[in-house]
Amino acid sequence: MITQEENVKEISASKPYIVVKDLVTQFFTSKGIVKALDKVSFEIYPGEIYGLVGESGCGKSVTSTSIMDLIPDPPGRIMGGEIYIDSFNILSDLRSLAKIRIKSETEVKIKRSKRANKRHNEILSQIRGNKISMIFQEPFLALNPTMRIGDQIMESILLHNILSISDGIIKRHNLNSNDLDKFMKNLNGENDHLKRKKIINNFVSEFGIQEFEESLNSLIENSTDDSYVKTEIINMVQENKKNIDMKLISEIREYYYYKNQLFQLTLEEIQAERTGETAIRNQKHEQIKALRRYINNKYFVLRMKLRLAEKHYMAPFRKEARRRAIELLSLVNIAGPEIVVDSYPHELSGGMQQRAMIAMALASNPKMLIADEPTTALDVTTQAQILEIIKDLNELIGMGVLFITHDLAVIAEMCDRVGVMYAGNLVEETSTTEIFNDPKHPYTVGLMNSVPRADRKREKEIRLDTIPGTVPNLITPPSGCRFHPRCKFAMDICSLKKPKLVEISPQHKVACFLYSDESEVD
Amino acid sequence: MELRYYIIRRFLILIPTLFGLVLLTFILLRAIPTSDLIASFISQKATAQERVIEKQQAIAYLGLNQPLPVQFLYYLNDIIHGNLGVMYTSFYTGPVMGGIERFLPYTLELSIATVILSILIAIPLGTYIGARPNSPSDAIGRIFSLGVYAMPIFWLALLAQIIFGKNIGIFGSYGLPISGEGYPTTTKVPWIVNNVSEPTHMLFVDALLHGNLTIAYSAFIHLILPVGVLTLSILAGLLRFIRAGMVDTANQEFVKTARAKGVPEKLVLRRHVRKNALLPSVTVIGLLMAGLLGGVVVIEYVFQLRGMGRLTLATITGLNIQFYGVAGTVLFFGIILMITNLIVDVVYAFLDPRIRY
Repeated sequence: MITQEENVKEISASKPYIVVKDLVTQFFTSKGIVKALDKVSFEIYPGEIYGLVGESGCGKSVTSTSIMDLIPDPPGRIMGGEIYIDSFNILSDLRSLAKIRIKSETEVKIKRSKRANKRHNEILSQIRGNKISMIFQEPFLALNPTMRIGDQIMESILLHNILSISDGIIKRHNLNSNDLDKFMKNLNGENDHLKRKKIINNFVSEFGIQEFEESLNSLIENSTDDSYVKTEIINMVQENKKNIDMKLISEIREYYYYKNQLFQLTLEEIQAERTGETAIRNQKHEQIKALRRYINNKYFVLRMKLRLAEKHYMAPFRKEARRRAIELLSLVNIAGPEIVVDSYPHELSGGMQQRAMIAMALASNPKMLIADEPTTALDVTTQAQILEIIKDLNELIGMGVLFITHDLAVIAEMCDRVGVMYAGNLVEETSTTEIFNDPKHPYTVGLMNSVPRADRKREKEIRLDTIPGTVPNLITPPSGCRFHPRCKFAMDICSLKKPKLVEISPQHKVACFLYSDESEVD
Repeated sequence: MELRYYIIRRFLILIPTLFGLVLLTFILLRAIPTSDLIASFISQKATAQERVIEKQQAIAYLGLNQPLPVQFLYYLNDIIHGNLGVMYTSFYTGPVMGGIERFLPYTLELSIATVILSILIAIPLGTYIGARPNSPSDAIGRIFSLGVYAMPIFWLALLAQIIFGKNIGIFGSYGLPISGEGYPTTTKVPWIVNNVSEPTHMLFVDALLHGNLTIAYSAFIHLILPVGVLTLSILAGLLRFIRAGMVDTANQEFVKTARAKGVPEKLVLRRHVRKNALLPSVTVIGLLMAGLLGGVVVIEYVFQLRGMGRLTLATITGLNIQFYGVAGTVLFFGIILMITNLIVDVVYAFLDPRIRY
């Protein structure tokens, strides 16, 4: 089981894990430029569930996809803004990625830089799935149909966790009598049955011998002879050590350690590039080149081995990863994880597939999960289960969630804070209770009045309101506030200037001229 | 369901298909006027009375006086015993079965070499092009594919002969042989009897088996041009198909998932896109095999190679159409096609776990 006590939910005090600032994403189509996101800004704190809500086509999914930098290119591109994930701005090198010349709406020339894109992708592949994960709307499309569930989860584990896995293997290998003495001492000092079990549990997970937990339990229950227990444990571990080439393990560990270093250096290089410190940048660049050459020379044979027979050489790692995959599957309440791990996606139901997706997203303990309408394609009972799992994970391991949905009921159920989106703008942001009790923006009010509610008087709410009009075409969005053509309270200024998202009361931000005169400057 | 059961079931389906094929060739035989069949049994010099007797003897010999179902049973019995009738042509005279036994291996050698070569080229090249849609390499690939696809195969073969042929091409006397006429007989070795090598009848393979590198080399250079031309003709279609599959698969949701997991771009292509993109292409390879068999007939004729294609051609180009020859070769082409499709289906099931229903 995953226990991360340092991650226990703490919303307010810490600094935000994700910061999105003035995010602009556009799609270049033959009919014109779709301004899908127009300066969206928000922050998500570790451990909170942040909901994004709005009609279809309002830019919820584009926002989440932009955070992962997975906007399909062509036709889409992130055109500006900053996205900080764990204090690193993944859009630092945005300028260098491509030169874009916009002659007219339909005529756009994009010249991509191969080298910059390669570096960008290398960095993002270390961030995606590691610091931030994503689950999608249709799990049956989002899983690779020709790969076993276990292999897909293991792939994610093996991508990001080689160092910790090899540390575990090395630690088990080096298990000595001192460790055993300490363990026996702890055990003997405790008489409570449950606490003894806990000590055993800690011991086996510390040394990665979970499969012996059962036998160790019964062994300790039935034997009073300490030295006998010790030799038995040594035997067990010895059994596990067989067939493991420790030299190879430490070589692989070293290789991945250097690769990690390379990643850190690249981050620093990009940071220096952004701040314009040419000297530091050049220095880092030289270091990267030297390190890369060193790795290529030293680990040439290893890389060839891994390329040709990865399954064989990574076997000990795969074994650990498989165990962890089973653990993850049981964490998301899948019955019979040992069987599911070897099944193909089409053999599972929709709910099971989505659980497997969540397990995959959890593979390297990310602090943030993006859930892009994870329950839309599932039936109602399954929906409730999936929501419960996400909620549980949020409480259990303190994982932050960016929850995207068009279902206000789900928002009420799940989220701590909510952002309301309309036509590529964030129009209101506040806590969940506030948004239901005191919506400010005319669009949010309209949204609230368009769903039946149990807490309103019947005679007053006998019929549901609709918002007149439709979502605007984002190739030619309305000027000023994008909602003004549909707004009951539209004023002259609304069509001229774009309102700014300002805090009108604590923890409540609205972008509307009814509440504040501030407009965005451009 | 397990792959094993799927393969077994697929094999069992082969039996009714085979039966249908035999029935079809039987109908083919019976669809022609019986007088044509009988004619070859009647001597021109005989008197009218003798002719009547000869005709009756022929009818009795061919079993034409029996009811149709009984005739079919006789036909089935003959096929099971490997008796496909006799053919008389300048290319080959003797039992049809013997002809097939002698000429089929050469065609198999040609086809197998072509299939292997085209798969070996098409997969990496298709992956490379498919990963870069609308790039210059994609444009070159498209021009190549459409160009070759539009060319008739005999024209391609002639072109290849003119460019690379020995004494006529750009390499002069160092060019490749353009005709296979009589080449196994150039050296006298005990394992080549009557222009046919033992034991597999595939000259290149046999030469390697006997360790005779000179003959192996000769067989190899004789194979280059025909195999090359056949490969080109298959490659054109296959490349387009793999490219389309790659582009299609790259837009699937699970590829996005792979990227969201942090799989590096190269591995996304290798591990997630390629395998799924190749699935439809596997089926296409089965279909191309049919085209290949048609191409073999032409290629063997253009390069004067002694294979099944020439045998098939001989049955219909002589003075009299050799009906038993036609029926026999059609049967064998059908069997080859069936086996190819079986292999394709099994490979497909092996690649795609969803198929084992």
